[in-house]
Amino acid sequence: MIALRWLAIAGYLALAAAPLLWLGITSLQTQEQALATSAGAFTPTVEAYGRLGEAYAGSSSTFLDYLLSSVVIGVLSTVASVALGTCCAYGFSRFRIPGAKDWLFFILSTRFMPPLAVVAPVLIMYRQFDLPNTYLGLIALYTVFNLSLAVWLMKGFIDEIPKAFEEAALVDGYSRLQAFWRIIVPQARTGMAVTAVFCLISAWNEFGFAMTLNNKHGTTVPVYFAGLQGNINGVPWPQVAAGVLIFVVPIIVFTVLVRQHLLRGVTFGTIKQ
Amino acid sequence: MLKDSTAIKWSFVGPVLALLIAFNVFPLCWNIVLSFTDADLSGGDWQWVRGRWYGRIFSGAEAGPQYALFASALRTTALFTILAVAIELLFGFILALALKDRFRGKTAVLTVLLVPMMLSPAVIGLFWSHILNGNHGILNQLLHGLGLPQPQWLTDPGWKFAAMLMVDVWMWTPFMMLISLAGLNAIPPHLYEAAEIDRASRWTVFRRITLPLCAPLLMLAVLLRATDALKQFDLVMSMTGPNDASTQTLSALLYQVMFQGGKVGLGSAYACVVLVVVIALATVFTRYLDWLAAKQGRA
Repeated sequence: MIALRWLAIAGYLALAAAPLLWLGITSLQTQEQALATSAGAFTPTVEAYGRLGEAYAGSSSTFLDYLLSSVVIGVLSTVASVALGTCCAYGFSRFRIPGAKDWLFFILSTRFMPPLAVVAPVLIMYRQFDLPNTYLGLIALYTVFNLSLAVWLMKGFIDEIPKAFEEAALVDGYSRLQAFWRIIVPQARTGMAVTAVFCLISAWNEFGFAMTLNNKHGTTVPVYFAGLQGNINGVPWPQVAAGVLIFVVPIIVFTVLVRQHLLRGVTFGTIKQ
Repeated sequence: MLKDSTAIKWSFVGPVLALLIAFNVFPLCWNIVLSFTDADLSGGDWQWVRGRWYGRIFSGAEAGPQYALFASALRTTALFTILAVAIELLFGFILALALKDRFRGKTAVLTVLLVPMMLSPAVIGLFWSHILNGNHGILNQLLHGLGLPQPQWLTDPGWKFAAMLMVDVWMWTPFMMLISLAGLNAIPPHLYEAAEIDRASRWTVFRRITLPLCAPLLMLAVLLRATDALKQFDLVMSMTGPNDASTQTLSALLYQVMFQGGKVGLGSAYACVVLVVVIALATVFTRYLDWLAAKQGRA
């Protein structure tokens, strides 16, 4: 039984890690080596990483341009989501709001919407304001898309802060805003950081909206890879691997940082440990 | 507690609700309106067509071969969702059972296991198509080395769907494991001790204690994963492209109709049908959460 247990763990560990290991190996190969039908020893080269600085056929931007868009859009939308989400979560945590439960469920249910089902009206709406192919358009969309996550996660964290703290402050003459800013925000810092990581990852990974709304400018990294896929000279695998590696390393780092809160993050705070 | 004015209350929660209404509810309503028009992507003139699209969707192939796509996409999506959720639940739960007890390096092992689910399916799916490539893919080279058959994962219509399912299982089994593990850890140890005193068999303990006590969290995991799997688009795009008959999910069909065909009206009608399913599932999910919270509140 114990041997079986270790076999399951080791086996799955290998399955989970092998593709990522192969990703690293491929990124150090040349195209010929990547396409070889029998893998063997090879001399590692960082050539593929250099290629990321070049634009591929039919595009004027390089990987770095896409990466910049991803960073700007990811960071700004995350800041907005966490700020708005924290305020809203505080409101639902501390005030008696008519229909609070229904509102919270409404907020959660927006997460289930398939992006492709609302993208046409959003595109038509955005055209009125010249928002397609801008940073602002995707930032706004990702901010709203992540609100459900931010509100639910933050509500869990704020619920855990004892009410006595701010009540004491209110009695001492703090206004509600002061109490929120000086008592709750510092106390909820961990929660805000965890929420930020989950919002950032979800914005970083998003593909559907990015591809349909920002197909010319302000395009994020996942769309870059979709472009490489249609490359007429065949997919440049080492370059793909190098780009994917650069793209996933921040996610892996953040996953490690929030490992204790993963359960909360992926279940919208509905399960706490 | 001090009385807060209505203005203060709503200024905390109002902005979020307003944004969600502007970016979610409003486009949804507009989507319904669009589904009764022949609007196209270029944004030119459009006309009301009343229920034409819905009529064609529900009469299927009779209305023309292109309308049979919807039924096929619906089947693909349903099959994908059911199989993905079932396999991931099974693997995830078994893995959680193996990982339940403490051991050295558990945190590190868990962290490595959990990485796949945090990655972007659109991006990692593309790399998987390198691994799965029929000629130079490393998987087939390994299978060759082991003397096993080497399917053409991405070009053989019989295998494309399985390949997509495989990558989804790779990504999301950790999710099921994580939630199963939380369920297993929440079972009070004294129940197992009592069972041991009663000399209950392993199977009885599993069936009467482990499974029923984990079930509520597993259900939550299934609902969360199912609503997500229903939206499957990124893997389809990165592994086979949106127009492949054997892997075309509803989202991929929507993309084909709206963005490659430019038929926003028809696409919106498809979207409305999809939304009915999604809203139904979301309702089940929120009601279930509500029930779970009430139950835990009592316990």
